[in-house]
Amino acid sequence: MNNPEQPLPHNELGRLAALKRYNILDSLPEHAFDDATKLVSYICGVPIAHISFIDENRQWFKSEIGIGVSEVPRDISFCRYTIMESEIVEIGDTYLNERFKNDPNVVGGFNVRFYAGVPLTTPDGFNIGTICAIDHVSKKLNKNQRNALSIIAKHVITQLELATKNIELDAQKKIAERAVLAKDSFLANMSHEIRTPLNAITGFTDLMAQTRLDPIQRDYIDNMQIAEENLLLIVNDILDLSKIQSGNLAIDAQTFNLKSTLKHVYDLLKIKVPENVEFNLFLDADLPEMVVGDQGRLNQILVNLTGNALKFTEEGEVTVSVKKVTETNNHYSLKFSVKDTGIGISEDKLNTIFERFTQAEENTTRRFGGTGLGLNIVKQLIELQNSEIHVKSKQGRGSEFFFTLTYKKADEIETPEAPLLGSNLGKLKILLCEDNVLNQKLVKSVIYNFGFELDIAENGEVGIDLLSKNKYDLVLMDLQMPVKDGYQTTQYIRKELSLNIPIIAMTAHSLVGEQERCYEEGMNAYVPKPFKQAVLLEAIQTVMSKDFTVAKKRKVDLSFLEEMACGDPGFIKEMIALFVDKIPNEVVLLSEAFHKNDNDTVKRLSHNMKSSFDIFMLTDLSNYLSIIEEEAKFGAFTTETLDKINSIYCGIDEVVKILKGQQ
Amino acid sequence: MRIILSEDNDILRKSLSFFLESKGFTVDQFSDGREALDAIEANNYDLILTDINMPGISGMEITQYVRQTLGSNIPIIIFTSSGVEQTELDSFDLGANEFIAKPVSPAVLLVRINKLLKTRV
Repeated sequence: MNNPEQPLPHNELGRLAALKRYNILDSLPEHAFDDATKLVSYICGVPIAHISFIDENRQWFKSEIGIGVSEVPRDISFCRYTIMESEIVEIGDTYLNERFKNDPNVVGGFNVRFYAGVPLTTPDGFNIGTICAIDHVSKKLNKNQRNALSIIAKHVITQLELATKNIELDAQKKIAERAVLAKDSFLANMSHEIRTPLNAITGFTDLMAQTRLDPIQRDYIDNMQIAEENLLLIVNDILDLSKIQSGNLAIDAQTFNLKSTLKHVYDLLKIKVPENVEFNLFLDADLPEMVVGDQGRLNQILVNLTGNALKFTEEGEVTVSVKKVTETNNHYSLKFSVKDTGIGISEDKLNTIFERFTQAEENTTRRFGGTGLGLNIVKQLIELQNSEIHVKSKQGRGSEFFFTLTYKKADEIETPEAPLLGSNLGKLKILLCEDNVLNQKLVKSVIYNFGFELDIAENGEVGIDLLSKNKYDLVLMDLQMPVKDGYQTTQYIRKELSLNIPIIAMTAHSLVGEQERCYEEGMNAYVPKPFKQAVLLEAIQTVMSKDFTVAKKRKVDLSFLEEMACGDPGFIKEMIALFVDKIPNEVVLLSEAFHKNDNDTVKRLSHNMKSSFDIFMLTDLSNYLSIIEEEAKFGAFTTETLDKINSIYCGIDEVVKILKGQQ
Repeated sequence: MRIILSEDNDILRKSLSFFLESKGFTVDQFSDGREALDAIEANNYDLILTDINMPGISGMEITQYVRQTLGSNIPIIIFTSSGVEQTELDSFDLGANEFIAKPVSPAVLLVRINKLLKTRV
């Protein structure tokens, strides 16, 4: 293009930019363009036709007939003149044209005798290329042919625009999808984060409700509890929904008892049945007892559908029924139905009730409450189990929701899994000292679930009484009790009864220093209330574990010392005296250093004390010291470090008592 | 046979001394590494028995000083509760003759002491 004679459109730079925007240069052949080229050839009756684009240096053919090359230099191209024009350029006979009669492609090359070219003009007015008809003989296009050529040129541009828009849309779609994913995972995280403090609020409101309140306070607390319950439902709904949306909700395949699950749903909702409504659960006689599937989700689906049915039914009946539809060698298909005689749903609303945030009536939320998410979640939970939900309803006559789920048959030998079963501990006999009746009930049901036995004392005095009469494996100790509180009771058990039975403190206070005080008084573990079942079971397992059992019946093994002493009793006595004299003090120093975060001292002391413990073969405590030393070295104490120090404290206390007895 | 024992834990040091004395050795015991090293320079011991972590200077430093500065090939036994392999490698690098992990078995200690003293004679 250095040749000054070369023609350049006045908007050349803009033109090149417009061309680039379409990303068409050097792309693969496309049918849409090839078809257009063929049309040009047919309509104009020419052996050569093409659609081409012109950049800085070349004319590139997107589609061509009769040319056989993919590009030519711009400075030999006829079309470099065509893109200077706004209309069709037609040269009937190149031999008679001053500009072209000596052109190399006229006297030789492509032997162009006839040329007709229409500029390809973008919507913003740039001529980025041409569509041409070429022949080796002279000719003249009629009006229709010229028109057709212009129309095809417009179509080519439309085609280009569409393709570009599609690419842009695709990119936008990807952005949108990413945003939805981000939103869902944000929702899932947030609802999880909200639920944690909400659980605490609920727990403490429950506790507050159990205190002495005047009627106004009682009323406030009642309202708070209702609001909390509703809020928790909403948050749980959102959490489920976002889990489903982000594909994080997995369907379990665990063996469970179908009949008792259904009974459980029935019992749970029985309390919500309005006065004039009959609530039924109909189970097919040949319903299987055990199946493999997702018990929790079935529960959720049925509670949701049945809860709705009860909510929208003022009189008549609500019936949950389950039937076996088919049975194969490996599977059962079961039809679940929830039918009511309630307000029903109008026909035009039937299609939308499963959509998010849609309820049958605009004012449903105000009249009946709810998030409008429940049915959507139910629908998706059923779809996740490869089925679908159906509804039949008539306004004012009631509704029926039904679906069929397929469950795998349970292996006969397989027993239902109960993850929180303390069976490996045998049948522990546990004493609970707790004055609050609700907490007593709660602990009782949890302990029974674990498979243990429980006796209850409503205060420390009664607890001590029971302890001196019966044999227990461990004590669960509430701290705040009338007559004798948890601290006083523990003191009495340790000092007066001289029992080393494990004691687990249970308290709602979680005050700073409270935990330490529990250990100082001789308790062995600490469970904050409201407690989680798993945490309680873990505490029980910890105090009943081997290390603790060793500690419980600690016998000091002096064989190592005896070997050192070569049997000299005087020397053994001397070393025992040294141990009794020094070690308790060192444990106190260790504990102090730990609380001051004085890592160097913790490290030095635990290292030094290890040798002393080893001589008296206190392997468990010595191991604790190794761990503490290691943690101190890296300045990384864990929540269990304090437990270990407390275990050392209690262990040494006991060892010293035993050693003193031998002195 | 004169042994110098350097260990900062009282109970262990006294027990080991008592044990070795019962087996007929003469034991000088120190709880401070610096004092132990002074004693090594001043006296003529047959064997050094030392812990690593001590106030003053460590058993490693004692070993290094004895081998490099004093140029002595007196048998040295290092014992420690460190379970780190590198500690054992470092000990031998510096010229220790034996490395015993705590808790030290008296019988094993005796066997090793005797072995070292015999090969020396």
